[in-house]
Amino acid sequence: MAMNEERVALVTGSGKGVGAGIVRVLCREGWRCCVHCNSNLALAEKTLEQIREAGGEAILLQADVSDPAQARALVEQTVQAFGRLDLLVNNAAMQYNRFIDEYDVDRLRKLWNINLGGYWRMIREALPYLRKSPQPRIVNVASVHAKRPTCFDAGYAMTKGGIRMFTRELALELGVDGIPVNAIDLGGTRIEFKTGNPAFHSYRPLETRNPAMDGKVRLVMPEEVGHLVSYLASGAASAMTGSCIRLDGGQMLT
Amino acid sequence: MEKQGVLITDLRTREAREAFEYLAGLGYEMISVPDGTCLWNETELEAWGETLKQNLYAVIHPAPPLFLRPLSEQTEDDFAKAADDGILSAFCVTKVFAGIFRERGDGVIIYLNSIHAEKPVGRGSLFSMGCGAVQMLAREVNQDYGTHGVRSFFVQRGISQYDPDGKSDISNLYYGVEKRYPERKMPAADALNGLLAFLLTRGAAPLSGSDLRADGGMTMYYGERITEEQLQEIRRQQLLENRKEVTILGDE
Repeated sequence: MAMNEERVALVTGSGKGVGAGIVRVLCREGWRCCVHCNSNLALAEKTLEQIREAGGEAILLQADVSDPAQARALVEQTVQAFGRLDLLVNNAAMQYNRFIDEYDVDRLRKLWNINLGGYWRMIREALPYLRKSPQPRIVNVASVHAKRPTCFDAGYAMTKGGIRMFTRELALELGVDGIPVNAIDLGGTRIEFKTGNPAFHSYRPLETRNPAMDGKVRLVMPEEVGHLVSYLASGAASAMTGSCIRLDGGQMLT
Repeated sequence: MEKQGVLITDLRTREAREAFEYLAGLGYEMISVPDGTCLWNETELEAWGETLKQNLYAVIHPAPPLFLRPLSEQTEDDFAKAADDGILSAFCVTKVFAGIFRERGDGVIIYLNSIHAEKPVGRGSLFSMGCGAVQMLAREVNQDYGTHGVRSFFVQRGISQYDPDGKSDISNLYYGVEKRYPERKMPAADALNGLLAFLLTRGAAPLSGSDLRADGGMTMYYGERITEEQLQEIRRQQLLENRKEVTILGDE
């Protein structure tokens, strides 16, 4: 715990949803965190308030990670505030929920620039500071759709497949610097806003419903992602790098 | 009977060019993209696609040439280029041509990609990112278009004799490549052609949506059994170096 009290984490997209769960857990464990948001400042302020009420230490920064200058400023301001950076969690992403024929080039570019470019940019900017940390870590939040198709948003699945390979490449490349890089293949998670494509229906015949399984396959809670991140950032996980860990409450089993 | 048209979208790699010749020899009408056509310009591609509609039967979309650059040396331009060349081109090609096939209720799209959709190359993060993305596109196409008669395949090509430039200072994947193949030699570049020809047939329909690793078994290489003499030599070296532990990975 004493070590965590000095350690600093920057979690992108942590004003709400999955990212908020991650920073709440990390701050409870003594990390000092940068809560980052882009569009929803009101929810991010609420997350910051929750952390501070619980006795945690955090700052809130707003930035668009698809903009190189803003991504750089986000990292630099975090380091200015806390003096160091030990953990980068890439989590900020968007989802259009469109079928292949509904996408156009502009939408795709925007998607790459946030879901892939944001991760790429943040790691590049954070790298000089992570190299100075005694126990540096990078965690990329991906999705079960890095391996299994969505059937309703090819663009999103492509970005997650890209993150899977980006993580493996960087595990190899940054292993030289002693920086483990891992990904979380996250399943459906309970967050503030419902996501998904209303025009997609997953047909499930009545006869396959098993009452014994009801409630066993479930949504993941944002804090549960936080616990996994906390483990990946710990010394106990130092041998783990290049992994894509599925966290989905058993959703992919059916 | 009219020849079936097969479009190969990118002839920059030698494998793609050889596939072009091979499939032409089998009687397909081979089509290449006109000079100056931008694969990630959807409007341009759509207009050209209209002219091919009649007898286009299949599209083969190769991955771009391997690109290695350390993360800290990559620029915004590198990212944009990798996204356009490696990802957006695959998406636009899919949207336009799989769209034509869907309308017709028949057609094949083959992503002639790389083992780097699974296996890192070292210093190739932007290239592999694109491979992973296109792998997911292939799976999505199978779901979204498969019910409309479109068959899709993702081929993970291994290292061939024409890939001398994948050597990285942090991965030994491209070193001693011959040793990695159970047959102890790199497959000829045209070894892929038979697979492509098969995937174009209706007999390959049950494989639609599959990842097909066509790497001659090299990705599975982990080491090999050595002779007693080699073992003695390693032990001798070990003593000389006064090392307490030596892990034999079977590679340099």
